[in-house]
Amino acid sequence: MRNQTHTPDPITVQVIGASLVTIAEEMGAVLRRASYSTNIKERSDCSTALFDAQGKLVAQAENMPIHMGSMTGLIDALLASELTVRPGDVFLTNDPYRGGGTHLPDLTMVKPVFVDGELVGYSANIAHHSDIGGRVPGSNAGDSDSLFQEGLRIPLVRFATADGIEQAPLAFVELNSRLPHERRGDMLAQLASVEVGERQLCEVHRRHGTPTVRAATAHLLDHSAKRLAAALREVPDGTYHFSDLMDPPETGAEDEGGAAGAEGTRIAVAVTVSGDRVALDFAGTGPQAAVGINVVRPALEATVYYALKAVLDPGIPPNGGFFDAVGITAPMGSIVNPREPAPVTARTDTCQRVADVVLGALAAALPDRVPAAGHSTVTYVTFSGEHEDGFFVYPEVVAGGGGARTTKDGLDAVQVHITNSSNLPIEALEQEYPLLVDTYELIPDSGGAGTHRGGLGVRRDVRVLGDGAEFSAHADRQTTRPWGLSGGHDGSPGRFVVNPGRDGERQLPGGRISGVRLRQDDVLRVESPGSGGFGAPADRDPELVREDLRNGRITERAAHDLYGLGRASEPGRQ
Amino acid sequence: MLRIGIDVGGTFTDVTALDTADGRFHIHKLPSTTDDQSVAVAEGVRAILQRTGAAPGDVGYLGHGTTVATNTVLESDGARTALVTTAGLRDVLEIGRQQRPDLYDLDADKAPALVDRSLVHTVTERMTAQGTVRTPLSGRDADAVVERIRAADPEAVAVCFLHSYRNDRHEREIADRLRAALPDVYVCASADIAPVFREFERFSTAAVNAYVGPRINRYMSRLADRIEATGVPVPPKVIGSSGGMMSLESVARYPVTTLLSGPSAGVVAASHVAGQAGFGNLITFDMGGTSTDVCLVRDGQAVASTQRRINGRPVRTPSLDIHTVGAGGGSIAHVDSGGALEVGPASAGSQPGPAAYGRGGDRPTVTDANVLRGRLNPRHILGGALAVDYEAAARAVDGVAKAMATGREVAARGIGRIAAVNMAGAVRKVSVEAGEDPRAYVLVAFGGAGPLHAVEVAREVGMRTVVVPPNPGTLCALGLLVTDIRAEFPRAVLEEADEHDPGKLDEALREAHESARGWLAAEAPPGAETRITGEARMRYARQNFELSVPLPRQAIDTARFGPGAVAEMVAAFHEQHTKSYGFAHADARVQIVEIQLTAAALVDKPELPSIAAGSDPREALVDRRQVDFDETGPLDTPVYERAGLRAGTRLPGPAIVEQLDTTTVITPDATALVDAYGNLVIEVEQR
Repeated sequence: MRNQTHTPDPITVQVIGASLVTIAEEMGAVLRRASYSTNIKERSDCSTALFDAQGKLVAQAENMPIHMGSMTGLIDALLASELTVRPGDVFLTNDPYRGGGTHLPDLTMVKPVFVDGELVGYSANIAHHSDIGGRVPGSNAGDSDSLFQEGLRIPLVRFATADGIEQAPLAFVELNSRLPHERRGDMLAQLASVEVGERQLCEVHRRHGTPTVRAATAHLLDHSAKRLAAALREVPDGTYHFSDLMDPPETGAEDEGGAAGAEGTRIAVAVTVSGDRVALDFAGTGPQAAVGINVVRPALEATVYYALKAVLDPGIPPNGGFFDAVGITAPMGSIVNPREPAPVTARTDTCQRVADVVLGALAAALPDRVPAAGHSTVTYVTFSGEHEDGFFVYPEVVAGGGGARTTKDGLDAVQVHITNSSNLPIEALEQEYPLLVDTYELIPDSGGAGTHRGGLGVRRDVRVLGDGAEFSAHADRQTTRPWGLSGGHDGSPGRFVVNPGRDGERQLPGGRISGVRLRQDDVLRVESPGSGGFGAPADRDPELVREDLRNGRITERAAHDLYGLGRASEPGRQ
Repeated sequence: MLRIGIDVGGTFTDVTALDTADGRFHIHKLPSTTDDQSVAVAEGVRAILQRTGAAPGDVGYLGHGTTVATNTVLESDGARTALVTTAGLRDVLEIGRQQRPDLYDLDADKAPALVDRSLVHTVTERMTAQGTVRTPLSGRDADAVVERIRAADPEAVAVCFLHSYRNDRHEREIADRLRAALPDVYVCASADIAPVFREFERFSTAAVNAYVGPRINRYMSRLADRIEATGVPVPPKVIGSSGGMMSLESVARYPVTTLLSGPSAGVVAASHVAGQAGFGNLITFDMGGTSTDVCLVRDGQAVASTQRRINGRPVRTPSLDIHTVGAGGGSIAHVDSGGALEVGPASAGSQPGPAAYGRGGDRPTVTDANVLRGRLNPRHILGGALAVDYEAAARAVDGVAKAMATGREVAARGIGRIAAVNMAGAVRKVSVEAGEDPRAYVLVAFGGAGPLHAVEVAREVGMRTVVVPPNPGTLCALGLLVTDIRAEFPRAVLEEADEHDPGKLDEALREAHESARGWLAAEAPPGAETRITGEARMRYARQNFELSVPLPRQAIDTARFGPGAVAEMVAAFHEQHTKSYGFAHADARVQIVEIQLTAAALVDKPELPSIAAGSDPREALVDRRQVDFDETGPLDTPVYERAGLRAGTRLPGPAIVEQLDTTTVITPDATALVDAYGNLVIEVEQR
């Protein structure tokens, strides 16, 4: 249809749209399969996307919502830069203040796509690398006080040309990482992935003709905006406010403006819906933090897009048309709009809270649709140390409870909101690291009681086998609790405990921590939070209470005290 | 001698018989008996005996494809299953890989664990990753867990201990004790079912196996009885997910390996038919009413996978890498809130089915669009057995047209194009994920709806050739006659190639070899040619994704890795990595994760019958009608009857070929050639 008119029929638009999504998915398949590190390959902490020539996201295959749109900044940075762009060039960056994703371990790569010498779009991907240097192994500790402690900052640089890979940036990254071999393999996988995207996008242009593809792309962006508008028209007009707290700072860290109080940073939002428009204002949100829980703009945007899509219409294609229709303002210098070089690596915990408050605000508008708070943290733990083949870093994200829905229980042991990474199998980690998992199970009673119970958190006990190891982590919801809705109870908080049930048992002071020395045979217990419940517990179907008791999801005591099971007034009993 | 293949589908049970004396094939179709599939199977045997005039004693082979295991899982109708597992790890099945099922749909639910949490029992024991005992299993604890299981009174038990792929002593001990103490309970151990690492996937496989075990066993014993009652002297063999025939004993022990029984028969048959037509590299395209199965076949060998899921639950036994998409003739079209036309994932299924079938369906489906476009016969299909309600199809599609503010023709064409592009995505996926370029493959179309869409799917993917076999609707039953008797014997190794322990590697190979030899001795028919092949699954150190490379012939033959064997495998691995991903890490450490031997007893592959030659298509011309094509709009198009086509006939597009079980669409830019065996070989012009 190359010679057809430049205003394609709606079906051709969709055929082209489906091709672009397929390409993004293929790029993801190549990236995962060719990558070297567990983090990308096994845990799929990566996403792939295609952009149009103006830098609008057209199609994305994201494994984690935090990546939604988070490559957009790179194209903008490239368009604004002095770099000349030639066919065959590939660019790389990771700087969160300059378009490089949302924290330093996320390396973003992009290849401009040319057809007959004309720039027609971009093929890009983002992947979380397991170590990008910095103060702490894994480059992901929550308690660094500056971006400079968090790892290597890579400005926007040319990574490859039509003649092949530029050795300098590759060597730079390798030299700055504790795991140079992985970096090399993962970056080559990213390169293979953007090249697949480039080839396929060229093919689409060749088949349909560039004017048709360009026009179709505009229609695709418009379609997403229309779906958002249609969903917004179902929301009663108004401004809906909600706020929640982060855990208080611990380990002596202080907020920028003075001594830390007992309270953590507040995240506040006002969501204004007016007809088919939506705007979010984060005024009232607390100042940027001295530790790495700050959220740069791309991360804030991705989180807001996630929350709106989940609540309003999960089927909205995530593209620039959707993004452009959402207004977001955040006070400069706040935790959701920090000043450079505020540390950012543990931004996901704050993003989870941002998702919570947007959902909380929308719950007032759509009480039948919005679930209670999920565990809403990213319990990111890292064990590192020496073993026979050198240094090891074992990162893991531990799931928790999914918020109780308005019609049914929350999911047990899942990732919520902005992430969805998988765990590393115990049998894989025990092959690779001098560690042993003693326990991996659901925590009874951790889900908030309710007509619909909150999902359960997870307990994972990791035993150190070698000469010792170091533990670092970032996690939240160890002080504040995931809230229930409509009378549902809060979920239980998470915690880290060294040597539970043994002499010298101690609970670590909070979720953002590094440099915890563990000796041989020490056990580090990770407990993730459960989620909030929905509706009054007294209204829960007694049969479900008995089933939970039989299955050990709740204890006898909870069945009795919270749900009234066995009492004379037990619901359903005559 | 008569060789019989019987495939049971949701609606029909298909019988294909080959009389080896004269090389003739006989086909029979009867309604499936859903309550007990074996009733129709036995009836089918009797019917085909009657038709051929053969005596029961003449039957020398009976192959069977069944959906009992699949249905058991899909209908959540399996055994009350208990799990015995390592202390501390009672929730491996509950937690899984901790991912939520949908990124954005907050109402989506995880597939519930097949074992109720109250039926999970833990026992104190622990193996290390190296296979050494860290915490011994005490006799007292073993006795205690057996008593707890007895008290729980399950129908099936899966025994799943950590690192049992490395050392299954504890697992075996508990399984043996359970079998001795509870002879009526179905017991399986994870390392016996899938001796591979990654606990969730292995435990899940064992749990599915236990869950379907009792029902499959009851079915198989009824089947054996009913076949015996027909007087047929040979017990049936069943096709497994990996495209090999299994004995009833193997099925009883490894029922989970029959989850893809029917679809794998289709792939084997398609490979056979295409192979005889001269094509070794193909992608099978089996489109039915509710779903479409696609599978990549390289050099006549279907690509295998160990990463399958059923209903959200991983199953890690060897199987053909058949990718299923929920798109078929019954997929429903609708217009979304942004004004865009979508097809699926909702389906009208077989009840009520497409509006055109007149069974009460009123939603517009892909089939309805095909009726309106003149691709499907607008009066009747299935050789006249089913009247088509054209008006109902028109009303259904008009609903979509109105929402799109366009005409009926445009809406119907749009439904067809979007269905094709969705399926093209599936075809791309199986090839790209196997590291292959689909343009070097031919598309083999079968199933009721495959040949209707194959040419457009091929063009979308950039493929140049489509093959439509003579009997696309009964291909699976044919597959049962050409499938070798085969079984896989994997062993976990997890050794570094550079500094491997030769003893360990040889031991794994020797064990697999002994198992394979023993199996051949028990299952190969007397006089059958047998063959053992082998592969290693390898990866770069710290990667968690493996590629398969062949084991050196010398290692397979001698059951020992000779000098240079491992180096040869490492070189092959780098080469495969380059082929799949475009590069290799020449200086990286390489690990051998698993080795697997495959033992096969070869069956004689029958030569498919050739058809009479002729070049004039007019003999087969039955009708002309307006048929709508994507590029040209409606064209006056000849309609041919498949049975009337002769070998050597050329059919330039546009053309429609009708037959009892399918309709083939040949677009204006394509040309079909009828080959010597009656296949339609369609060349698609690529721009």
